[in-house]
Amino acid sequence: MALSRREFLKRTAALTAASLVGMNLPLKVDRAQADADRWVRGTCRFCGVGCRVELGIKDGRPVAIRGVPQSRTNMGYLCMKGMLFYQLMRHPDRLTKPLYRESKKEKFREISWEEALSIAAKKFAESIKNHGPDSVAYYGSGQALTEETYLFQKIMRAGLRTNNVEGNPRLCMASAVGGYITSFGADEPIGSYADIEQAFCFFIIGSNMAEAHPVLFRRVMRRKLDNPREVTVINADPRRSPTSRIADIHLQFKPGTDLALLNAMAYVIVEEKLYNEDFLNNYCTFRVGKEKKEVSFEDYKKFISAYTPEKAADICGGNITPDLIRKVARIFATSPATMSLWTMGINQRIRGVWANNLIHNLHLLTGQLCRPGADSFSLTGQPNACGGVREGGGLCHILPGHRPVKVDKLRHEVEDLWGVPRGRIPAKPGYHTIAMFSAVNEGKIKAIWINCTSPAQSLPNCDKYRKGMAREDVFIIVTDIFPTKTTELANLILPTAFHFEKTGVFGCTERRSQLTLKAIDPPGEAKPEVWIAREWALKLAEELNDPVIKKCVEPFLGLEPGYELPKAIWTEYTQKLTAGRDNDLRGATYEVLQQLPDGVQWPAPTKEWALKGGTYKKFVRGLDPLADEHAIDEKPYQFYGPAHKDHKLWVWLRPYKGPAEEPDAEYPFYLSTGRVIDHWHTSSMTGRIKELMRANPYAYIEINPKDAQRLGIKPGDMVLVETRRGKNILPAKVYEGPMEGMVFVYWYDMAEDRMINRVTKDAFDPGSKEPEFKICACRIKRLSGPKPLKPYLVRL
Amino acid sequence: MPIGGFVVHVQPEEKEELLRELSRHPQVEVFGHDEKGHLIVVLETETSEEMEALVEELSRLRGVINFNLAYLHAEDEVKKIEAGEIKPEIRFHRLRPEESS
Repeated sequence: MALSRREFLKRTAALTAASLVGMNLPLKVDRAQADADRWVRGTCRFCGVGCRVELGIKDGRPVAIRGVPQSRTNMGYLCMKGMLFYQLMRHPDRLTKPLYRESKKEKFREISWEEALSIAAKKFAESIKNHGPDSVAYYGSGQALTEETYLFQKIMRAGLRTNNVEGNPRLCMASAVGGYITSFGADEPIGSYADIEQAFCFFIIGSNMAEAHPVLFRRVMRRKLDNPREVTVINADPRRSPTSRIADIHLQFKPGTDLALLNAMAYVIVEEKLYNEDFLNNYCTFRVGKEKKEVSFEDYKKFISAYTPEKAADICGGNITPDLIRKVARIFATSPATMSLWTMGINQRIRGVWANNLIHNLHLLTGQLCRPGADSFSLTGQPNACGGVREGGGLCHILPGHRPVKVDKLRHEVEDLWGVPRGRIPAKPGYHTIAMFSAVNEGKIKAIWINCTSPAQSLPNCDKYRKGMAREDVFIIVTDIFPTKTTELANLILPTAFHFEKTGVFGCTERRSQLTLKAIDPPGEAKPEVWIAREWALKLAEELNDPVIKKCVEPFLGLEPGYELPKAIWTEYTQKLTAGRDNDLRGATYEVLQQLPDGVQWPAPTKEWALKGGTYKKFVRGLDPLADEHAIDEKPYQFYGPAHKDHKLWVWLRPYKGPAEEPDAEYPFYLSTGRVIDHWHTSSMTGRIKELMRANPYAYIEINPKDAQRLGIKPGDMVLVETRRGKNILPAKVYEGPMEGMVFVYWYDMAEDRMINRVTKDAFDPGSKEPEFKICACRIKRLSGPKPLKPYLVRL
Repeated sequence: MPIGGFVVHVQPEEKEELLRELSRHPQVEVFGHDEKGHLIVVLETETSEEMEALVEELSRLRGVINFNLAYLHAEDEVKKIEAGEIKPEIRFHRLRPEESS
């Protein structure tokens, strides 16, 4: 008997899920029934894990999503949070026409693409003519495709002669970049997700991966559950989270004391001689200071002797005891393979690079590196922060292929590859993010293009920078799919194609590049960014009467924007710009990427190597073709990273440094923020849920029950949060999450009262220039009982 | 109505109690389970948001480690979005423009 469609879909759902764990269900479905007309393969749009998905299309609509079981990232598993992106594809609020207003006081009016591109070119050209090339800027995103970031930065640098190219990854992972380059001589992790299945100790610090990277966390937990006695999960975090609840050991320390904790773990490793002498002798040197001066192991021992577990426990507070530090240091050092994992808790610090260095130090001292399961692995928040921005030249100081702008030889190499005159790209790096928006404030930047991100909301201490963006003499172009806090400050809004409405590559956390194919047309007149950038460059060339600008897009003229254009951009980037670099992607052509269920991990210099999936582990001879190519001796590991000419890994002497702003009598609490998306939640599923969901979710302030009791704050009460920069009013969530003396706020809420970046601090790491979102001082006060809140709405 | 197929990873010793708990939810159907602590669960809800909220609620049940989606079908919902009958929450920190009054 034929099944009802509903029953057929339920069975299909069950069978698909069961197939991932090899379970046979006694269910049958009629193959004549179909859940979708066709399935198009791509990558999830949500986080940096890079889960492979297939989008089911029926009658031209996106109707279904399923995981790709053969994918080495997610093995078919997906998370609910990431999957709802398909709803946006047919959303009635999508931007579908270019919108323009001369003055920010006016209302937007619809204009044609022809007019929009002319205005965009004219405004940038005017600014360059009157104020020089550094009066214009591009601010991009770790959510933009690699082809988009690459093309925009090419036009900006070689066309418009400015390195004012930045992106929001500066706000989330610049410290990880700095850490990898200074410790290992090369950006991005050595190992892969595949190390998870071979690790025996997980050291998860400054990351709530159970919620933020659930599909990857599934692999950690599967490893633990299958080997409950052999595998230990350690979580170090001031906030108790679902990750710490599942961990064997939770180290809860005061925000910003991580450097003391990590140095004390190194102390124990040195004191108890748990270090790996062979590894240190063969592969490491010790370094100190800005001059990167080489020092001896004895010097390091002397330095580290100041960080006794007793002293660190004193600094760290929370549940940290000297014995606990000794215990985790021993597990870390002696486990057959230790894997560290971290995210923003480590990166968003005024000494984020140092914090990264100190995690790497633990791996270098113990030799927990380059072996299966042993790695120092930074997780990424955005789907293409690694591939597009770190590798594709999306930050002010780096050109594509991990080339520092300031190195003449490398800069000229890029100019030659692009066929533009030498000297065309300025030698001086552009403004980093905070400097860029400070320059907007000061009126030094007159025209800025903001692509696929909303700095008006995501910058720390954002009110300060919104003032600059609101200036009438600053022309702002925003490319996006929806109105944002930043479109509120724009002059020109250009509607773009969304995921699966265009073709392009995302590079995820583990050096893996994966292609997403266009499945449906974008709504209305929305266009792919690569088309927008190309057409804009042609008009700029006319406005500035500069044939070199046209030269930047010449290889791409006339190409169809849905597939042929991004393909040509990817081909130029990989075949020319990554050739011979450590992120060599020459083997990862569109054809190869389309053949593989997941994608390719660089280095992948040849198609043959790429078709095997690329390089699972860098620097290991036999596993990494470049380790063989650049070998300087017979040793099994070859650290050929471009930043360390000595082919060594560097153990850094980095002193303890607390946060920029610590609690005091006036502002006695630590305020920390996070990107966890939570919703209004009732304890039982009832018909109310729907109304509650419709009422829109909003951010809470999480308060430790002890603090709440002391201050007379009950769940749902309205709480005033004040810092030296401003105030927010948020409902309270009394919760055994943050430690005593600390509050935690989600940063996604756009209502002015609840927009937490209005009060966060914009102090930043002097090395990575990444701001310290995670920590500032605040005071809190109960204002009233619970109040009904309205969702924030904006009118264009 | 969206239909989602999930693999739920649970602590094996909590499995029996969880199966009892899940059987009390009208929107939850368990199609199978194994000794490693995998449950094959299908959810059916009015909207995807409701499914997301349900997943979050079920994720907090004792013994649940991980709630992974394998398959989601939401044809009816996409049609409703197109017809303007429902307006999903906009993600990725974007805003919803005010409805014209």
